[in-house]
Amino acid sequence: MRWKLWLLMAPALLWLLAIFAAPMLHYAWLSTHAETVLTGLEPRPVGAQQWLRLWNDARFWQDTWQTLRFSAASVGLEMVLGLAIALLLHQPLRGRGTLRTISLLPWALPTTVMALGWRWIFNDPYGPINQLMQRVGLVSVPFLSNPAITWLAAVWADTWKTTPFVALLLLAGLQNIPADLYEATALEGAGPWQNLRRITLPLLTPYLLIALLFRLAQALGVFDLIQVLTGGGPAGSTESLALYAYLNAMRFLDFGYSATVMLGSFAVLLVVAAVVGLGLRRRVLR
Amino acid sequence: MARIALLIWSLGPMLWQLYTSLRPTEALTGGLSAGPVWTLAHYQQLLQGDPPFFTYLLNSALVGVSSTALTLALAVPCAYGLSRIGRAASRSLSLAVAAAAAFPAVLLFLALLEVARDWHLANNLLALSLPYAGLCLPLAILLLQASFRDIPLELEEAAVMEGMGLWQRLRWVLLPLMTPAMASAALLIFIFCWNEYPIALTWLSRSDLLTLAPAMARIAGSSVFTIPYGAFAAATVLGSAPLILLMLLFQRQIISGLTQGAIKG
Repeated sequence: MRWKLWLLMAPALLWLLAIFAAPMLHYAWLSTHAETVLTGLEPRPVGAQQWLRLWNDARFWQDTWQTLRFSAASVGLEMVLGLAIALLLHQPLRGRGTLRTISLLPWALPTTVMALGWRWIFNDPYGPINQLMQRVGLVSVPFLSNPAITWLAAVWADTWKTTPFVALLLLAGLQNIPADLYEATALEGAGPWQNLRRITLPLLTPYLLIALLFRLAQALGVFDLIQVLTGGGPAGSTESLALYAYLNAMRFLDFGYSATVMLGSFAVLLVVAAVVGLGLRRRVLR
Repeated sequence: MARIALLIWSLGPMLWQLYTSLRPTEALTGGLSAGPVWTLAHYQQLLQGDPPFFTYLLNSALVGVSSTALTLALAVPCAYGLSRIGRAASRSLSLAVAAAAAFPAVLLFLALLEVARDWHLANNLLALSLPYAGLCLPLAILLLQASFRDIPLELEEAAVMEGMGLWQRLRWVLLPLMTPAMASAALLIFIFCWNEYPIALTWLSRSDLLTLAPAMARIAGSSVFTIPYGAFAAATVLGSAPLILLMLLFQRQIISGLTQGAIKG
């Protein structure tokens, strides 16, 4: 009987291995081979040379920093805004279902579609935000041409798109909290703020953790949004690790080094997940 | 107040695109124009383009449907096995599947590109379902597994007593009960495939075969010197409309799928 179950699972599990595990193994092999225009796009063994190059590659470390900065800012914002929206949608209000669906719309739209939309919204000086700024007498903001500001525009667009997902997850968590817990603290005269700290947040922790880890992994792999919104510019200030790996393969035709960058990005992802996961677990257990 | 703020935050950017798409180009850059205030010219331009914009939507729909079918065909038996295999094996497998669900798919594109090159799968819309099914499997398995668990074991035991084999039980007893979960999974898979970008970008190069996501990026990159924002906006409106319609029609299934998949998985 058991072997029949394994037989049922085999196709999907093999498929997963082929799509997720095989590429990573292939990268490990390719990262020790040069495969560029100079080698006629044929792999040639070079040992650890490309790993040394990665270690000394200032652009890789700058992109790591930029990717971490982007992820921390957008995931942080998404968690806070997502919690606020979930709390709002949890109130027994009229038209709650409709509001929930409408607030989920940004999540469903293709990233590249709205990235193009955001490029127009952030336009200087004709975009709506800058039109508004000028009308109230402020200077317009060069959202997409100032290296100090542009990454924040990317954070803004990413937060807009992915907050609904976080909010929906947390809303499901809120709906699983028994209402009589609040009735009990109401007898003690607890206010909404105390309720949030003593009941809601502790019981919501597993949901917050799932949302946090999932969103962090996705944000660290950010690609679509950056490529269409800024192309990595201005002056490389928004280039992410995934975009750098992409450029190495598709623009510089350096496939061996692209694989090395991919594995480097994956290592960054693992380190962040481990640090965040372990750090949170310790705090939650205490 | 908070509700209105949420509405503006969610809908504002989309409504601005709709507004832009209906305005003549001169009006967008503040110039005075003698012409009409509203126009459909941007839409006409898109629909008369080469290839017409609808091609991209049809391509995306084709890829979405074929990938959804393939994913479900693989995920349903796997989810069933996972829900019956026993605690220890199911736990570690589910954890691995959940890790795959969170994995950023963009990191796979280079290896998948080589697959496309070596096996001549590039510029083939149906072949794109092969990687897409792999990318969607984790979510589908987690979601369906949770629903299989919700079906009482007694029901299946009764079917065994009746003398039904594994295949018969799946087909006649379990699958009818799984319809809602499968509908939710199908919708989420379809949305994912409709939106997927990096793999489509590297597998498709012929412009008449592009799906929506890479087509949008190509439209964005094609015009460096002018600012055809009216046409851009019309493209975002046409590209969003099918998904907004899908969301409004199937909001219950999509929302339950999203929450179930994330929580029970």
